[in-house]
Amino acid sequence: MTDGHLFNNISLGGRGGSNPGQIKIFSGGISWRRQGGGKAVEVDKSDIVGVTWMKVPRTNQLGIRTKDGLNYKFTGFRDQDVTSLTSFFQNTCGITPEEKQLSVSGRNWGEVDLSGNMLTYLVGSKQAFEVSLADVSQTQLQGKNDVILEFHVDDTTGANEKDSVMEITFHVPNSNTQFVGDENRP
Amino acid sequence: GDNRNAAKTSTDLVAYKSVNDLPPPRDSMIQVDQKNEAVLLPIYGSIVPFHVATIRTVSSQQDTNRNCYVRIIFNVPGTPFNPHDSNTSKFQGAIYLKEVAFRSKDSRHISEVVQQIKTLRRQVMARESERAERAT
Repeated sequence: MTDGHLFNNISLGGRGGSNPGQIKIFSGGISWRRQGGGKAVEVDKSDIVGVTWMKVPRTNQLGIRTKDGLNYKFTGFRDQDVTSLTSFFQNTCGITPEEKQLSVSGRNWGEVDLSGNMLTYLVGSKQAFEVSLADVSQTQLQGKNDVILEFHVDDTTGANEKDSVMEITFHVPNSNTQFVGDENRP
Repeated sequence: GDNRNAAKTSTDLVAYKSVNDLPPPRDSMIQVDQKNEAVLLPIYGSIVPFHVATIRTVSSQQDTNRNCYVRIIFNVPGTPFNPHDSNTSKFQGAIYLKEVAFRSKDSRHISEVVQQIKTLRRQVMARESERAERAT
């Protein structure tokens, strides 16, 4: 295969953990298939609006942001893949991947960043986690300062997931000026 | 008093210095890293570390469908005996992660995790208050 790159053991991250599969990155875009069939993800080159790299424990994570505001996260790239794919994205898509850093300090205070339908929780300007608001079934305001996000319970991915997140609550102190009034509810 | 000093040290606690220090991920499971005093939570296919000193309580329950739930409540400003209180002014404008709840099919693993977090938290808190006492 001269056109593009093929990688095995690349997992797609989502609400219910991650699924292993195979990814093909070629001049037409990106296509990922779940191992053993099932879920597939196809992203056309023209739909890609942003590419990010993040170092995660033992491996690297590729983030692909699309025109529709979706953000796919593929984990399992080696350091040398990052180098070759970075130039590939630059040459074929004209996009220079950005580098993101994972927060490892273990703190629970930071900032919330809303972009497209992704919510990113940043600690010390580094990413702690990112969730898709498409998977949020309900948001609730508890008291004056707490915002609860409830996630869809997805039983179809249950086979390979162990612990899956159901609820995340943020505490927004009165001193915070970023979110006031009803904007508290994403 | 003593409580305040303990607070200072616990906010300065850092779980990891670099990404490479994190233990290898174990397929979407909550892990407790005793050595680095951290709890690792699987959120959206990523492993997110939290220092055990940021945790206020942890509890679990089971429903009739043999699903197990674990709830972790973190320290946030404005709650009594909060170790962060003395430092709140430092982080004005911050948004706190207050609570996370997970569902699991493995009740043995969940009760193990709850036990480990509780024990680790006790150890760290005891050590920190002792350290604060010595400092005064």
